[in-house]
Amino acid sequence: MDDERISLAHGNGGRFMRELIEDVFAKALSESELDVQADAVQIDLGDGEVMITTDGFTVQPLEFPGGNIGSLAIHGTTNDLAVAGAKPMFMTLNAFIEEGFEVEQLQRIVTSLAEAAVEAGVRISAGDTKVVRRGEGGGIYLATTGVGVRLPGVKPSMDKIQDGDILLVSGPIGDHGTAVMLAREEFGLRGDLVSDAGPVMSLTEPLLALDGLRFMRDPTRGGIASIGHEILRATGLGVRFEATVPVREPVQSVCDMLGYDPYYLACEGRVVAIVAPDQADAALDLWRNLSAGKDAARIGRITAAEQRIILETPLGGERFLEELEDDPLPRIC
Amino acid sequence: MAELATCTAETIARRIRLQGHVQGVGFRPFVYRLALRHGISGHVQNQLGEVEVVAAGAANAVDRFINDLIDTAPPLSSPALSSVVDTEIPAVVSFSIIDSLAEADAQVFVPPDYFMCDDCRRELQDPSDRRYAYPFINCTQCGPRYTLIEALPYDRPNTSMSAFPLCAECEAEYLDPTDRRFHAEPVACASCGPSLVYEEAGREAVADNDAALAAAVTAIRAGKVVAVKGIGGYHLVCDACDEQAVATLRERKRRPHKPLAVMFPVAGDDGLDHARRFVDFTPDEASVVASPIRPIVLARHRTDSALASNVAPGLAEIGVFLPYSPLHQLLLDAVGAPIVATSGNISGEPVLTKNDEALRRLAPIADSFLQHNRPIVRPADDPVFRRIAGTPRPLRIGRGCAPLELEIPWQQSEPLLAVGGHMKGTIALSWQNRVVVSPHIGEMDSPRSLDVFEQVADDLQSLYGVRAKRIVCDAHPGYTTHRWASRQGMPVEEVWHHEAHASAVGAEFATSGEWLIFAWDGVGLGRDGTLWGGEALLGRPGTWRRFASLRSFRLPGGDKAGREPWRSAAALYWECGERWNASPDIDGLARAAWKNDVNCPVSSAAGRLFDAAAAIICELPIASFEAQGPMMLEALNARPGQAIPLPLEEDSEGVLRTDWQPLLGMLSDDSRAPEERAGIFHASMAGAILAQARSARERVGITQVGLSGGVFQNRVLAEQVIALLNDEGFTVRLPLALPCNDAALSYGQAAEIAAREAQE
Repeated sequence: MDDERISLAHGNGGRFMRELIEDVFAKALSESELDVQADAVQIDLGDGEVMITTDGFTVQPLEFPGGNIGSLAIHGTTNDLAVAGAKPMFMTLNAFIEEGFEVEQLQRIVTSLAEAAVEAGVRISAGDTKVVRRGEGGGIYLATTGVGVRLPGVKPSMDKIQDGDILLVSGPIGDHGTAVMLAREEFGLRGDLVSDAGPVMSLTEPLLALDGLRFMRDPTRGGIASIGHEILRATGLGVRFEATVPVREPVQSVCDMLGYDPYYLACEGRVVAIVAPDQADAALDLWRNLSAGKDAARIGRITAAEQRIILETPLGGERFLEELEDDPLPRIC
Repeated sequence: MAELATCTAETIARRIRLQGHVQGVGFRPFVYRLALRHGISGHVQNQLGEVEVVAAGAANAVDRFINDLIDTAPPLSSPALSSVVDTEIPAVVSFSIIDSLAEADAQVFVPPDYFMCDDCRRELQDPSDRRYAYPFINCTQCGPRYTLIEALPYDRPNTSMSAFPLCAECEAEYLDPTDRRFHAEPVACASCGPSLVYEEAGREAVADNDAALAAAVTAIRAGKVVAVKGIGGYHLVCDACDEQAVATLRERKRRPHKPLAVMFPVAGDDGLDHARRFVDFTPDEASVVASPIRPIVLARHRTDSALASNVAPGLAEIGVFLPYSPLHQLLLDAVGAPIVATSGNISGEPVLTKNDEALRRLAPIADSFLQHNRPIVRPADDPVFRRIAGTPRPLRIGRGCAPLELEIPWQQSEPLLAVGGHMKGTIALSWQNRVVVSPHIGEMDSPRSLDVFEQVADDLQSLYGVRAKRIVCDAHPGYTTHRWASRQGMPVEEVWHHEAHASAVGAEFATSGEWLIFAWDGVGLGRDGTLWGGEALLGRPGTWRRFASLRSFRLPGGDKAGREPWRSAAALYWECGERWNASPDIDGLARAAWKNDVNCPVSSAAGRLFDAAAAIICELPIASFEAQGPMMLEALNARPGQAIPLPLEEDSEGVLRTDWQPLLGMLSDDSRAPEERAGIFHASMAGAILAQARSARERVGITQVGLSGGVFQNRVLAEQVIALLNDEGFTVRLPLALPCNDAALSYGQAAEIAAREAQE
């Protein structure tokens, strides 16, 4: 296609739209063998329990150190399948593109999406594009639906969580949230701050073999603090985060400067696993032998005695990690 | 002949009811002894808060008896006659104390914990006394109360002494109405009462009272840090003249600069002779230090003091107190020198009270523990007083003065629980026109603070026999207390932070007419959703409007600004389009965030202006404790400076705003000494208040001014403000009963709600 920018005609069902789909999407997604003509396609999931999930992507800025909205659209959805104990296999893709969007940027995003799909081992089997009027979209929005089959082993679920269980995280937290925020506010690039966005299949699959595995979740919006609150709400059990939550120095220093709490910041390539206490070390060993999990750490424990989310600080103190609010206002007098 | 005449006079009988502080203060034995002296028969009975006396005898003997009931009451009691009526003459010609009646609702008063009285101190120091050197000696006139009562009426089975059965000798005293330990509920001696144990890692516990105490003394003298269990909680103790010991305590407690309180041995007539070698007291300060509350009092540190220089670095005052229990008396007598005695807690949490929890949580700080086995039912931290404008005023209420009994000039329609703010938490239970305020709980971020908060909320209601029907909280949705309130399934009313401050003053002084209240503090949520803290509120409890404020600015990093004064300083310059060269924001990230309005809430807090001035003048970018900057700034300011006039203009909402911008050049003018700049800054802020007050008088005829909020703990500011306003004919009130800081919020919330209802 020759145009430099997306126009409303790219969404009208005619030649422009065909060229957009063929030249940008289908070309980049060649590995997926996307059939752009079919109204519906058959997918072969083999035996096993089918699992499905969906997610929308509106991140700003669209491109940030360590990824862009395209790769995020793959990681977000496939990671949701992965932490549920499934192997992601097929995906659908919806793109809502704003009139005037640069085609070159679109190509970068779709290319990145395609690479991420290959890395995650999924095929994009169906898709759709719409063009929205100028000013009605943030450049581009994506929506993906993922289908997979449950892997053999434990069926992780929140209702398996018990008093005394241990929380593990596969790596340092807050990198994605910090990198995106710095990019969004155009605070200047910081080479040491890169999103952690990436596939977590390599982390989740081996843990399914541990019969002490209870539950896994990727700490996206709201960070690990929000996982704590989700557990509390669903099970009535409290969570104590220990002073061992790994936070990389550049992330901590940006948080310190801006007054943010890394426990509330999003990750896009980490897994929090809840494991029976007697298998916590085994799970940690499994992770630490993987490149994606080399900095894995024990970060807390489940406690029935306290229906609260508590952070233990290195000085022997304790504080509440309250449920995230819109815009936390200072409380210190 | 006259006496004979009285003997033959007609016999009468009166039924007398007394209210006020009449329980736990030796009131019944006092009545008994008084009855014997006046030849009165009848009885005395505790009736859950009230005392009933039936007195029969010659008419004028009964009259004298009634007079003496009030005039010669024990020092800790404050009885008030509620009724005197004729009654039938009892058949029995003797006087008796009958068992407490545990029913009917009444005016309950829960006594605070008292220091050791002179009688007990004499016995403690008398080798021939059977309680010689017994660390838990007490009587009806002294000893623990609030921290030991589990339920009312105040009888031994309802206290944490119920686990210590009385020996025959103690029981005889306890049952003898003529003994000063008659019904002294915590009465004990070495053979039946609580005992000490000294515990040190890697060493066998020392269980004998004398030996345990001696071991602790040896450790303190050797420069060790010892955790000592007292009345309302633990202290961390070390030799106050040993710089290294103090440094160790500071390092382990991660408390690099915050001033540490010092306890002195008792010496001389008023007990303060030893302390006078280190500090100078005004007569007021001396009498408060030695009062039954035994609070920590901030007093001027002598330049020739031998205290370690790191006890209160950079400050001109030391927090001083005297031993407030026999255990502390013995400890200080034996050490013979001042000791640092700082709250045994984890920063900001309530003081620890349980042996096992203290062992676990203080282990990284203390080398050893001086423990005892009398349970502390609920914590009561040390109270703190400071003389401001000629009068010692509380900065913190606690052991010895809490629960604090206050009144409001309105009636509550229904009992309520006022849960205070987020820092320096206190709870108030209010019904009718009474408000009972809990001791200091702590900063409400931590689980232990909330645990203690919940316990105290519950205990106050059961001890006073009053169940709250509703809760009042601060309007800030993020406060732990606000969240707690919304979880209780009860009606919740909200009061804006600074309106609670204002109502605390309005209710305490209970005058008629309109007020102008300056509510100057750190930040609190205001009606417009911004963070207030430099407000002048006009009106009266129940109806406040914002009359004036300070020019607002955006605080980079939100809550971080509360502990990092450089942020406030930088923000002032940025707000005026200038740069501040001393900013630690080297790569400009904070400024970029400030420019983009990322986590930079709008504030008009005076406390942040003081932070800014301290960051610039004292070169204090980061504070290691709350108000460190303003305290250093105040300590610098030996004499008042010449105020820089600050413009006062009305904003679009009709609120007058003082603009601080003219101060910026002076603050960073290195050619002037820090002392001079601090002087000008204080004078200018006082001048800003005067200008706002004048304006209020011109516009609405206000003459009554109140000062509220933590900023007025600053003596230099408060005294200048009061002097300026008095000179111009204003009446100025600064709280006396409660601290002016956030500890007063619970009381102010309760008062505000009652006042609103009274206006409906």
